Amino acid sequence: MENNNKADVLNQGVIIFVFLAVLTALEFFVAIEIGAIVLLIIMAIVKVGLVIYYYMHITRLNEDSGDDKHSLKYKTATNRLGLWLFLLSDSFVFGGLLVSRFYLLSLTRPPLNQTLGLIVTSVLLLSSFFMNRAESSMEYGDRKGFTASIIITLILGIGFIAGVLGVEWPSALAEGITPSSNTAGAIFFMMTGMHALHVLTGLIFLSVVLRNGRRGLYSAEKHWAVEAAAVYWHFVDVVWIFFYPALYLIGKLI
Amino acid sequence: MKKFFSSALAKGLIWQLFGWIIGAVFVTLIRLLMGLKVFDIFFFTEPAWVFGGFIGVLFFIGGSGIVNDWFKWAKGEETSDHHEDPDGWEKYINVSLDHKVIGIQYTITSLFLLVVGGSFALIFRTELAQPGLQFLTLQWYNTLMSLHGIVMIIGILVGVAGVINYLVPLLIGAQDMAFPRLNAFSYWIAVPGIVLLLSSLALGGFDTGWTGYPPLSARAPVGMQMFFLGVFTAGWSSILGGLNLLATTVRMRAKGMVAFRMPILVWAAIATSIITLTATQSIGLSFQLVMFQRLFGMGFFDSAKGGDPILFQHLFWFYSHPAVYVFVLPGLGVISELIPVFVRKPLYGYRWIAMSSLGIALVGFLVWAHHMFASGMNQYLQVPFMYSTLLVAVPTGVKFFSWIATIWKGKIETPTPMLFVVGGIVVFLIGGLSGPPNATVATDLHLTDTYFIVGHFHDTIFGGYVFPFFAAIYYWFPKATGRRMKESLGKIHFWLMTPAFLTLTFLMMRVGMLGMRRRIADYDPALGFAGYHLVMTIAGFLIALSILIFFINFFSSIKNGEKVIGNLWNSRSPEWQVPSPMPVHNYDRPFEVIGEPYDYGLAGSEYIKFTKGK
Repeated sequence: MENNNKADVLNQGVIIFVFLAVLTALEFFVAIEIGAIVLLIIMAIVKVGLVIYYYMHITRLNEDSGDDKHSLKYKTATNRLGLWLFLLSDSFVFGGLLVSRFYLLSLTRPPLNQTLGLIVTSVLLLSSFFMNRAESSMEYGDRKGFTASIIITLILGIGFIAGVLGVEWPSALAEGITPSSNTAGAIFFMMTGMHALHVLTGLIFLSVVLRNGRRGLYSAEKHWAVEAAAVYWHFVDVVWIFFYPALYLIGKLI
Repeated sequence: MKKFFSSALAKGLIWQLFGWIIGAVFVTLIRLLMGLKVFDIFFFTEPAWVFGGFIGVLFFIGGSGIVNDWFKWAKGEETSDHHEDPDGWEKYINVSLDHKVIGIQYTITSLFLLVVGGSFALIFRTELAQPGLQFLTLQWYNTLMSLHGIVMIIGILVGVAGVINYLVPLLIGAQDMAFPRLNAFSYWIAVPGIVLLLSSLALGGFDTGWTGYPPLSARAPVGMQMFFLGVFTAGWSSILGGLNLLATTVRMRAKGMVAFRMPILVWAAIATSIITLTATQSIGLSFQLVMFQRLFGMGFFDSAKGGDPILFQHLFWFYSHPAVYVFVLPGLGVISELIPVFVRKPLYGYRWIAMSSLGIALVGFLVWAHHMFASGMNQYLQVPFMYSTLLVAVPTGVKFFSWIATIWKGKIETPTPMLFVVGGIVVFLIGGLSGPPNATVATDLHLTDTYFIVGHFHDTIFGGYVFPFFAAIYYWFPKATGRRMKESLGKIHFWLMTPAFLTLTFLMMRVGMLGMRRRIADYDPALGFAGYHLVMTIAGFLIALSILIFFINFFSSIKNGEKVIGNLWNSRSPEWQVPSPMPVHNYDRPFEVIGEPYDYGLAGSEYIKFTKGK
């Protein structure tokens, strides 16, 4: 019975990932071939909705946690609320950056390598998929599956950072897009830099969870840290789902 | 003295200084290797000071030991939720997880900052007493004027956090805040921020006013960066405090305390926290962008590079207008909380008052551009923002109506807290009435950047924050210490401060209408208001004198005040049903809410009932 449930949950993760991948590919196609901005925004919102609902489990905020304020369940629900409030707060930073981007550049975009953007976006999406797998494994007490998935998530996360900071930044600099050249460069480095800072924080969080998971500190009943790391990691993905079209797809080349 | 040097505060400050130097030397060495300029007029270069300041904050956090428990969690260790504080004063300069201790830490810090900011005001107020420059240079005038603004604002934010931290868990019957460690962190992160902010005095100051608008802030001295970094750091205190409070009120309420049986102060705290949680990020971002513009030449607000200074004003006021509701909403909550106690009547229109706090907070998010009518932003934005601003008067009017209706035909007692409540209502009314002329585009274009705005602002903040804050201190002082403050000195404080303050702000508005610009060090004697300025300066010193009397009263009452153990004000609120000072773990027996909170004077009505046993 339980194994069936677990298989269902893992399958659901796969199905959502397929949706996200298809939407990302479609987004790229729409941007290159049609250039319909409204469509791009709608697709980004659909993607974010899928991640928030199926990967971040926003409905858990609504779960009944009983009356006993000293129970683990009640405390975990309080922690969950705290984490979501933090994400709400943090989203105002990224919201402010998006506002600044459209305020200053309106419907133009810097000449960035769109293929490279698609690649790093895919890497981050894939890492979200494995993060979801790691969390689901821990929910059913599968420590081996958890460790394997979280290591893959970590590697993909490092891959994303390497792609943005190690490949994208130097290639942008080579194209003459520097922080001080013009506002397009300033916005590009500010947005990717702020996002990369959050990815780095997430990577530290994941390493802590990986280490403690290998030492057997988490179980099917008690794994709040894993859930928190997962929700945070998906949030970083959500931010990128908006940043990617804003930087690489929307608008005319300057 | 030994106790002081082994305290978290002293350790943190020493580590901060150490980190500051290490960071600055590090950047200086790198610049040396890169062949860049190594030394500047303030010894280190600007990037070195900024990076050092940032490292200093990290060192403060590490050195004072506030994050030790979190590191233990990361290592997979368990920590105890029961944290015993030492007796005596040293618990206030050490890390404590008790919300009452943290609330008092906040309050004392706030009083300290209000004194510092007030002293700055006295200095430049004295300079303004006569036309011409007497003893300040222009740069010093500008720095003191700017620092007065921002130090007061941080002081008020910290004071609001103090009132909320101390009272809300008591009012809702919680053992503590939802996240006690985060609560301690929220307080302690403000301390290095304040140090950074004040350090700008030594680094050339800054001449932009507290708003820090570019392009001026993009070329002000290094002190500007310390202002940005300090506010950014202290802002985290506000954000995390708001987060904690929201989680606490949602998750930790006593049994039976449904939404519409929460005390009004709790509603006000929720409204406040929604703003601090979200909007504060916006000012943090705007300051960060200017810092990066200065450090890396990123041209967000540099029109030569395609940037736009108006963007800064949008980001800045998106926080800084709602921020004034952060300042006043808890104060208005205190007023609603105390009036029924002192008139012995039920609070009129409880639900309307509760919702009006939220209403003000939410409308407050939609009004920011009324600060920018004269800025050159798109003109079609002016009228919508005018109307949204005028809309704020509606929920505020609801509050006034309820206060008047509650006082109406009540049996009014006037001990010191009630005096400050009534004074607060009067002053806030004047502040409120002087608001619509500034919200209306046609009149604002005339009044903007004059002393009229200064008078309006001080009336709202004194009425909405300072008066209620003093009322709260006089009212809850016995709860915290078990002793009460002297009534005689309290009354002198009130009767000295109120007329002096009203004189000051009326004259501010008067000279503003006659043409006195704000933030300006000098004025033309031919304008004919030099006499008013002299009177304002005298009034300013009278306010300072009244505050001095308050402090004498405050500190002498801690040790020698009249002992009060029981329900001094005959209040229905749960915290007064247990002995003072408040027991360490709040309520020994949990209580259940069985009635309405403010049904004073109704026979047989009960608000709470303590359940038997544990």
